[in-house]
Amino acid sequence: MLNQWIYEFALWVDGSQWSTMLHESYYMYNWVEATHVLSLTFSLGLLFLIDLRVLGYALPNVSAVEVANRLHWPMLLGFSVMIITGLLLFYAIPVRSAQSIWFRVKLLLLVCAAINALLFHKALRRAAGGWSDGLPAPRALRRGAGYSLLFWTLVVICGRFIAYDWFDCVKEPHPLMATLAGCVAGQEVF
Amino acid sequence: MGHIKYLLIACLPLAALGSWQVWAHHAFSAEFDANAPVTLEGKVTKVEWINPHAWIHLDAEQEDGTTVAWMVEGGTPNTLLRAGINKRSVPIGSEIKVRGYQAKDKNCKPACKANGRDLMFEDGRTAFMGSSGTGAPKDGSDPRAR
Repeated sequence: MLNQWIYEFALWVDGSQWSTMLHESYYMYNWVEATHVLSLTFSLGLLFLIDLRVLGYALPNVSAVEVANRLHWPMLLGFSVMIITGLLLFYAIPVRSAQSIWFRVKLLLLVCAAINALLFHKALRRAAGGWSDGLPAPRALRRGAGYSLLFWTLVVICGRFIAYDWFDCVKEPHPLMATLAGCVAGQEVF
Repeated sequence: MGHIKYLLIACLPLAALGSWQVWAHHAFSAEFDANAPVTLEGKVTKVEWINPHAWIHLDAEQEDGTTVAWMVEGGTPNTLLRAGINKRSVPIGSEIKVRGYQAKDKNCKPACKANGRDLMFEDGRTAFMGSSGTGAPKDGSDPRAR
């Protein structure tokens, strides 16, 4: 049922003229995809620096709170470019993306990463008053930094694998895989 | 110094991931079989001029006179434009000859798949249709490949 709705939503997006234009474009798609990947190296580079500092592996002479505060806005700027270009990539290829097992796992991981980021941010606020920078970070912060590294690494891996067609619905994968990927019986658009 | 050591250790998996991505960037080795070259001749049935890879569908003629549906992957529309091919170069119904490499997955659903190396039009002109350079593996068939 859910898979049917997702498929119909993707079909609706696929029917728009701009989606087709982007999908068939000579230059725009390449720019969007390149920007997506470059902005991810930028913002994840900054995020990993914050995470590694909290874990005590990077920039030991700079306060972790200061690293986090200074990198916060450039990182969010990079994230917004990444999200906008990511939405455009989905907009260009909606049906195949919505029925990609990698894309689906990636979205779940993004939700996990977002919740973890909120908790991490809260813990950082709470810790900032009472925690002296010479000491190891409080456990909640270190756990958040670890999960952040884990989730985002998996997000990038899943994103990369969307390119491969091993479990595409058009190849009629194993029934379990087909259900997880969201294949719809009798679908005519792939 | 201790911290730097840990930082380097922490970065190792990422470095490995990075180099692996370079390997995977040209999807060829992941999806196509360099040891299964194919030559397909037949009428174009459908052209998908899409990113990140264009697809040319054709009914390839067999020796016994029957046809088999194939879909051949090319580079991006942009790459093909630079190679001298655009959407109007391969009208539906035109006869083409494609050299390429079959997909590792040979189950032929919904059509047999191949990665296109080069393409010959009805009038005898040829063009490369791969994604980078000729897009072909270094198998000796292209003397210009380095």
